[in-house]
Amino acid sequence: MSDIAIQAHKLVKQFPARADSGNDKKPEGQAAPAKKRSLWPFGKRAPKSMFTAVNGVDLEIRRGEIFGLLGPNGAGKSTTIRMLCTLLEPTSGTAKVNGFDVVTQANQVRRNLGTVLAGERSIYWKLSGRENLQYFAALYHIPPTVAKKRVEELIERMEIKDRANELVEKYSTGMRQRIAIAKALLARPPILLLDEPTLGLDPQAARNLRELIAQLKQEGHTILLTTHYMEEADQLSDRIGIIDTGKVIALDTPEALKRRIDQKEVIRLELTGWHDDLGDKLKGITGIESLTSHQKGEADLWEVNLQAQNSRHALPRIVESLSGNGTRLVNMNIVKPSLEDVFIHLTGKALRD
Amino acid sequence: MSSQPIVSAPLGRSTSLNEMRALAAVIRREWTIFIRYPSWIISLLIWPIIFPMGYILTARALSGVDGSGLTQFQINTGLTEYVGYMAVGTMIWMWQNVVLWNVGGALRNEQMRGTLESNWLSPTWRFAYLLGASVPQLISMLVMLLVSGLEYAFLFGVKFQGSLPLTLLVILVSIPAVYGLGFAFASLVITMKEANAFVFLVRGIVMVFCGVTYPLAIQPQWMQNVAAWLPQTYIIHAVRSAALSTEGFQGIAHDLQMLVLFGAFWLALGMAVFAWMERRARQTGAIGQY
Repeated sequence: MSDIAIQAHKLVKQFPARADSGNDKKPEGQAAPAKKRSLWPFGKRAPKSMFTAVNGVDLEIRRGEIFGLLGPNGAGKSTTIRMLCTLLEPTSGTAKVNGFDVVTQANQVRRNLGTVLAGERSIYWKLSGRENLQYFAALYHIPPTVAKKRVEELIERMEIKDRANELVEKYSTGMRQRIAIAKALLARPPILLLDEPTLGLDPQAARNLRELIAQLKQEGHTILLTTHYMEEADQLSDRIGIIDTGKVIALDTPEALKRRIDQKEVIRLELTGWHDDLGDKLKGITGIESLTSHQKGEADLWEVNLQAQNSRHALPRIVESLSGNGTRLVNMNIVKPSLEDVFIHLTGKALRD
Repeated sequence: MSSQPIVSAPLGRSTSLNEMRALAAVIRREWTIFIRYPSWIISLLIWPIIFPMGYILTARALSGVDGSGLTQFQINTGLTEYVGYMAVGTMIWMWQNVVLWNVGGALRNEQMRGTLESNWLSPTWRFAYLLGASVPQLISMLVMLLVSGLEYAFLFGVKFQGSLPLTLLVILVSIPAVYGLGFAFASLVITMKEANAFVFLVRGIVMVFCGVTYPLAIQPQWMQNVAAWLPQTYIIHAVRSAALSTEGFQGIAHDLQMLVLFGAFWLALGMAVFAWMERRARQTGAIGQY
């Protein structure tokens, strides 16, 4: 048996898009020129163009590892995942899951893959937790006697035994997510695909789920994980792939990725009176390589992160730029680069952009 | 959380028996969810009696207080039981209407709920989702037809002089045509993301052309020609013959023949459109889009 659990080779996915559709929610990618112009009886129809959501992704995920796939919104992450789990057919390239081709052996892929997509929405709220698991066990062709035992095992494991007969609509988000994960584990698939598994969970529930993911790895599952929480990716992943504009732009262990920008520094500012012009001003300072900003919990308090080659050279100019226009510096630190900083360095965007 | 054994081979195996179990699970799921919304009582017991009332009262008004206008009705239809006539027409119309909404919207509802993808990610035969969603709908529809028949017999004194087995035979033979249209519809709705306009169009055509509340004989010839191409025309005529007249099998033989042909056509078309939709969805990602 090969050491590779998931393999993608030059994976490409293109979708048709109308040039004049005005749809600004299109995934990022490169538009190819229109091939032909068609006419609509009621007037000229916009020429069809193609946008490339995934542009030649190469991936090799090893058996037994947790692989974190990170990327800003519209980077091609979801499209890649949907191709790997057979929901989407690639335009070109190949992908194999546990040795099975995602196009020609789609059913074997589905049998070998446990998926958590869309989290709590992927289960039936008008059924109980137990009914949901019994239902999906039948869909995965698990024989009834085996299914019954497996459902009880998972109910026990997910610690929902007392409420297994209640309708899912009465569960908390964390409980629903546990049912969704139990659903993915029903058929004991060797590979798990977890898309944002901790999204919307309270900190305690998220921590429990992270512990569960680590346990699943210990049990031999290969896990492909996507998350918007950088600390989570850092903590759980053996390796991380960063995807942007449809391409894998970096792939390594979290430590190796962080080492890439070890020589750089991150200047973290907390200030009030932030405005976009100030961002442009700060970005214009020599030695500043990237800037991200976000509002903190308190009103009008902003955190601004600047990556610089040499903070000592940049600091006087930064302080100078902050004076006037109602801006007030509240706090300033020079910190060690985190995985988030690596991400910003590579993509120019924060993960939540 | 306790520890589990190390991962081995997946537990499931694809066999015909397991596919049947999956289909049974879809039916059970759909039925369980259906009865957990208490509104099913309205759709099964109250709506069938309310809906045809408007047409029946209009007919009563037009036939005159002494029923003198019924002579012409009898010439055109061969029947005097105009309440039963209206009830059968509107019930068949409601059947097709409900199939369009429920079966036609089955996959779309799953899509909007967010569960379609999780079903699609399993190795089960895709058509089982649509077929499974249709069975509880068919059962509830048969119950509704039976209940409304009883309601009309006891509340309005409608005399169903025909044969119950023949009526059931007509309904059985009509199923492929009615549900084949529903299957094709369900697949189109997934692609188009909108059902309302299509439902209104189809049910409008059935209402106007198929003789739901009036005999085809009063239509202009071109309308009768259109009606001849719609299976609902034959279903309505056959159920009326089987349930309200004493003509026996002879009265429905031609309709049954036509319904078998229409059934084969619509079922094949429904499955073909479904296969097309499934293929297209894999190329466009339509399954996951709201």
